[in-house]
Amino acid sequence: MNILIKSATIIDPQSEFHNTTQDILVENGVITKIESNLTNPGNYQEITLDNLHVSQGWFDSSVCFGEPGFEERDTIENGLKTAAASGFTAVAMNANTNPVIDCNADVTFAKAKAANQATSLLPVGALTVESKGVDLAELFDMNTAGAVAFYDYKKSISNPNLMKIALQYASNFNGLVFSFPQENKVVGHGVMNEHIISTKLGLKGIPALAEELQIVRDLFLLEYTGGKLHIPTISTQKSVELIREAKAKGLDVTCSVAIHNLYFTDEALTDFNTHFKVLPPLRTQTDCDALKAGLVDGTIDMVTSDHNPLDVEHKKVEFDHAAYGTIGLESAFGALQTLFNTEQTVKLLTQGKGRFGISEHSISVGNPLDATLFNPNTEYVFSKADMVSKSNNAIFENETLKGQVYGIIANNIIALK
Amino acid sequence: MSELSVNHLLGIKYLNEKDIQLIFETADHFKEVINRPIKKVPSLRDITIANLFFENSTRTKLSFELAEKRLSADVLNFSSAQSSVKKGETLIDTVNNILSMKVDMVVMRHPNPGAGVFLSKHVNASIVNAGDGAHEHPTQALLDSYSIRERLGDVAGKKVVIVGDILHSRVALSNIFALQLQGAEVMVCGPKTLIPRYIHELGVKVETDLRKALNWCDVANMLRVQNERMDISYFPSTREYTQQFGVNKELLNSLDKEIIIMHPGPINRGVEITSDVADSKQAIILDQVQNGVAVRMAVIYLLASKIKQ
Repeated sequence: MNILIKSATIIDPQSEFHNTTQDILVENGVITKIESNLTNPGNYQEITLDNLHVSQGWFDSSVCFGEPGFEERDTIENGLKTAAASGFTAVAMNANTNPVIDCNADVTFAKAKAANQATSLLPVGALTVESKGVDLAELFDMNTAGAVAFYDYKKSISNPNLMKIALQYASNFNGLVFSFPQENKVVGHGVMNEHIISTKLGLKGIPALAEELQIVRDLFLLEYTGGKLHIPTISTQKSVELIREAKAKGLDVTCSVAIHNLYFTDEALTDFNTHFKVLPPLRTQTDCDALKAGLVDGTIDMVTSDHNPLDVEHKKVEFDHAAYGTIGLESAFGALQTLFNTEQTVKLLTQGKGRFGISEHSISVGNPLDATLFNPNTEYVFSKADMVSKSNNAIFENETLKGQVYGIIANNIIALK
Repeated sequence: MSELSVNHLLGIKYLNEKDIQLIFETADHFKEVINRPIKKVPSLRDITIANLFFENSTRTKLSFELAEKRLSADVLNFSSAQSSVKKGETLIDTVNNILSMKVDMVVMRHPNPGAGVFLSKHVNASIVNAGDGAHEHPTQALLDSYSIRERLGDVAGKKVVIVGDILHSRVALSNIFALQLQGAEVMVCGPKTLIPRYIHELGVKVETDLRKALNWCDVANMLRVQNERMDISYFPSTREYTQQFGVNKELLNSLDKEIIIMHPGPINRGVEITSDVADSKQAIILDQVQNGVAVRMAVIYLLASKIKQ
């Protein structure tokens, strides 16, 4: 694959061409020249796009694609196409499948389904057999097959001894353990953030306390066991404080936040709209502000779309019966750009890679091109026409977003819309 | 002619003060009608109403049915103790099946908060919420305010305490919204475990000492403890609850002034109020029941007149 990218503004602090507009020559997937005005050496594919910006490829640490088992929601193939169209060159796919991805063969299946796509699929194996929270799954064997981390998707490990053993065991091979931050007994039958809005709506609340108790527990365990802990999708002010303190102590903990938890508050639920039913729930403005501050000061390591396609039958029902989750890949960049500037946004979308063992390739001569192409300046109302996923459960539908993604070039494949 | 600002009655929070006054003035008229020898008017001969009760109810269902029949509407009753979802059919499908038989209005009780709001977005009929989970029970709040107005002349400026299980109560929430809209002061009183943590942000006072609460108020609305909605014991025993939050005649007589006692029913005699309190002249519990029919006639009449437009 030989390409000449014309007139691209490079957003990459690791590159000497950061914040400059250049032509980029790519031969057989490797960057061979970056100069201000390159001529096409022959019949190289030329890419010229309006207000083109290029950055290192983006990464999402929590997506679901339905396959195997829930193909009516989405498939791995279409999920990866969605990711590519949304600017992501790598995604960590949760074991939110049926059967649950909890053994070597399942990981191998997922990887095989993901072959020959521009976006790389990094399978996350279940932490426990069938994600039942009872016995550890074969973590080492899954790791051998290519699982990058271990997570019972959105299910907390209620047994502290099991979490202790998981952290100890995975540390043998430097494995990354996820712990969903939720103390189930405190959640009870809660379906949204416990606050004044839940009171007004008569919906059972999920107190911030439920998240914070579990994080405190896990941080104590981590201090005891050592190992690598990742806390996905935190949502409260105190959670940020707890992780900030743990990092100051030197614990090997990272965390993420879902973009919708930065953008929306629980006031979005006033109309019982099930598209806003997500887990962790949308919280208050105080929480949103603390989460943003946590991203800026590095307490929170990465953002995630927490992409979870769900068919309409799971959403077009009474609020209590609706499933948690939203699609988010397609709106991730545009939503983040309403909260952060372009350089910050790109940083948030790339800085989680190291934790998941993904090589970072700066936009520099000699490196393979693993890049996202975008126009940061357009504003548009996010609608069904922007959704690539098979399911349309989008929390950002009808929101005015900023910046559109052209696509990616990665794995020596051009995937532009 | 005055009309409601809404096409459905989904909750008090969707109404304005004028709506409430209009409903009360209309109810005044219907209260006179139901006390005539011929208790029926032909107003809604061309309207068909489906009463869909996805949760058990005795008095609300009877009250609505009677209100509809007094207005000469055609009435269809559907009861199912369990939600339609559990049977495999969605709520929208269940209701649309019924509506395809040319029904104009749906009165629905449902265990899930927001079920009425949800339905109003997806089906083509006027919806009256007859109680949706712990969300709202607007006609109950309307008849409660109507009964206060009847006994005390006005709701504005009155002090009302709602006692008991506030956490699981749609009656409490609708009453708070309705009373505040009319200019009353509201307090909630009960064990801390049964009071929503953030309820003070609605502008209500919170009190855990029943005697103090009763001494403060003009009206005490005693709620039933909703054991069926509890996922854990919020207090150790009924006996202990009654010791702290039950009203008996001795307590009532020891207060600085004579207060009004209300109860949305069904009463657990000896728990939230003793029999001698329930049957005393201070209690207006049976007035509430009678007013319920008139208020529901008013609501249905006013919504139906919007359909007819």
